[in-house]
Amino acid sequence: MSEHFMGVDLGSTTAKAVIIGADAGMVAWRTVQMGAVSREGMRQAVDGALESAELRRADIGRVIGTGYGRRLVPGVDRTFTEITCHARGVAAACPGVRLVIDIGGQDSKAIAVDRDGFVEDFAMNDRCASGTGRFFEVLARALECEVDELAGLARSGSEDLEVSSMCATFAETEIVSLLAQGAEPPDIAASVHRAVAARTLGLVAQVGKRRPIVMTGGVAKNAAAVHALAEALESELIVPPHPQITGAYGAALLALETYEGAPPRRAADLERAEESAAAAFAPQSSPSCADCEVSDSTARSVVLGLPIPVRRP
Amino acid sequence: MTQPSAGALSTLIEIAENPTGYVTRWKTATGGKAIGAFPMNFPAEIAHAAGVLSVVVQESREPITSGRNLLTEFYCGYTRNLADQAARGRLDVYDGFFLADHCIQLLGAVDVVREEGNRPVYFGQLMASMGDPWTRTAVDGKMLSFREELAEFTGRTIGDADLARSIRLFNENRRLLRSVFDARRAGDATFTSAELQALVKSSMVMDKEEHTALVRRALAEARAARRDGRIRLHLSGHFCHAPRPELLRAIEDCGAIVVDDDLFHGTRYISTDVREDVEPLAALSQWYLDRNVSVPCPTRVQHDVDWDAYLLDSVRASGADGVIVLMAKFCEPHMLYYPELRKALNAAGVPNLLIETEHEGLPLESVRTRVEALLERIRHSQLANA
Ligand code: SF4
Repeated sequence: MSEHFMGVDLGSTTAKAVIIGADAGMVAWRTVQMGAVSREGMRQAVDGALESAELRRADIGRVIGTGYGRRLVPGVDRTFTEITCHARGVAAACPGVRLVIDIGGQDSKAIAVDRDGFVEDFAMNDRCASGTGRFFEVLARALECEVDELAGLARSGSEDLEVSSMCATFAETEIVSLLAQGAEPPDIAASVHRAVAARTLGLVAQVGKRRPIVMTGGVAKNAAAVHALAEALESELIVPPHPQITGAYGAALLALETYEGAPPRRAADLERAEESAAAAFAPQSSPSCADCEVSDSTARSVVLGLPIPVRRP
Repeated sequence: MTQPSAGALSTLIEIAENPTGYVTRWKTATGGKAIGAFPMNFPAEIAHAAGVLSVVVQESREPITSGRNLLTEFYCGYTRNLADQAARGRLDVYDGFFLADHCIQLLGAVDVVREEGNRPVYFGQLMASMGDPWTRTAVDGKMLSFREELAEFTGRTIGDADLARSIRLFNENRRLLRSVFDARRAGDATFTSAELQALVKSSMVMDKEEHTALVRRALAEARAARRDGRIRLHLSGHFCHAPRPELLRAIEDCGAIVVDDDLFHGTRYISTDVREDVEPLAALSQWYLDRNVSVPCPTRVQHDVDWDAYLLDSVRASGADGVIVLMAKFCEPHMLYYPELRKALNAAGVPNLLIETEHEGLPLESVRTRVEALLERIRHSQLANA
């Protein structure tokens, strides 16, 4: 019986690799941002995760690939879609979750999760980058700031400007035209965050709103985006501390669960796994709760940085 | 007529991919006239009886350019492409056009065909309300007018005996194709769904006798195969034009096998025969009314016929594990029905997925992800219930 399993999520802008032990506990992970389904990014993520786990590839019993580049992962034993992997990873990390909203670099999805933690229904944007991480890159470029600065900027905006959520490219010209009309960058940033949230509501409506809701993907690291979405949904949102790796984590769990000859796990293993996952997912560099505790009393609460136990099988 | 080729199936696929090439060859070889018939209900038997090749006008793969300003962006891809084909002279191979349907978008496109070309265009919409006391009389009147128009168009009288012969040939063709689709429902996997589409699409284009002979050859040449353990799917929707073959291939490459469909370029087109034991024109009227019962269509209104119930019955009969609804973007009749359809599938616990198609192309990777996610979901529930 192998002791370690790996999930590799090769998304449109970021490669993520997660290694778990035979007890389902997190051992190591690595995210690498390289852009456009990068093989080099994937190699670095895989090597980085192995290095920090002090393992070699031969020590990994099974590898599952996920994300748009799932078929490019070398030595992959099997692939699952990011929809299945996100549902699996989030359900393990946040037991009882019923809806996952994942907003990545170039796509967004709403995944309804059944009571057993598996996909019940899903909806995803198909051919337009509106309402995704790309939308925020466009905004940052137009406002001449870094993507990381957008949340702070949006928090200080007060005026509600109309920004189309239909198309990332047209949004850029709209932003430029708003700037030309003298609109303030914080107001523009806040309005774009609201437009993205409105776009996401449309996806959620396709699968039906249900709670608890967990938000994942790179955009979940943007506190203002999370907040705008929580407001639009009129619901609390839970954001794992490392929202980008839940898909890879789900893939690693599926690697373990589909590994032939995996022995049944014992209670002691499960406890160890819970501790290890809680430690692994403990808040580190994700947006702090302070970023999100907006004084506006109408704002919905956003839960960031919850410790995440591994779900008992 | 048929060019020698590697195999009958390849020839049928070639013709399905290039209908204009076939029509041009047919006209050169026979000296006859060809009409473009717009989907989905034109009674082509009447044209055949008049010695005319009646071809269901197909969507072309060319990007929409000159025709772009003729219809708005919010028309379905098929109608925008029709307008473009008309504007670019791509429909000049046809000597005339016949319309029997009344989707408002199709009407708009056919009006462009009339404006842009110098060929006769006959608008003869068949009644859409199927259950009114006067429906049958109205349909009878329309069938008569099709016969008169085609007689005038060809300068030939269309006698009952000619029409009865054409009906027999068309029924034979439909029966043959239905036998292939029935075999698929029963577990045969000799042809992929893209190949089956080519069988039907080529039937919409070719002379029926020639098509029947070629299909028989294709069946004789084919190596029989039985269905394997892949997830079984029903494909639903997609009116008027064919979903791209690469979409059908992508669905099956993801680990599914299509076991049934209600696509126009599939079961819908071949669903219903024309009675041979009654007066031919009356039989064609009855055929039109029966088609909507065999496979209900959202472009028709009939209170005692229900697409949801039909779909659920089909899924039960074929043992499909799930349904993929293929919807042409901006197809209003389909958009109108889809929410009810989805509700019915969900209520019956049938996993389903909507894929919207556009003339402009196919985001294949995104399609694959969604299809695979559907299959993973189905596989998981099968394991859980095992
Ligand atoms: S029925 Fe749908 S596909 Fe056919 S012409 Fe009308 S809108 Fe287009």
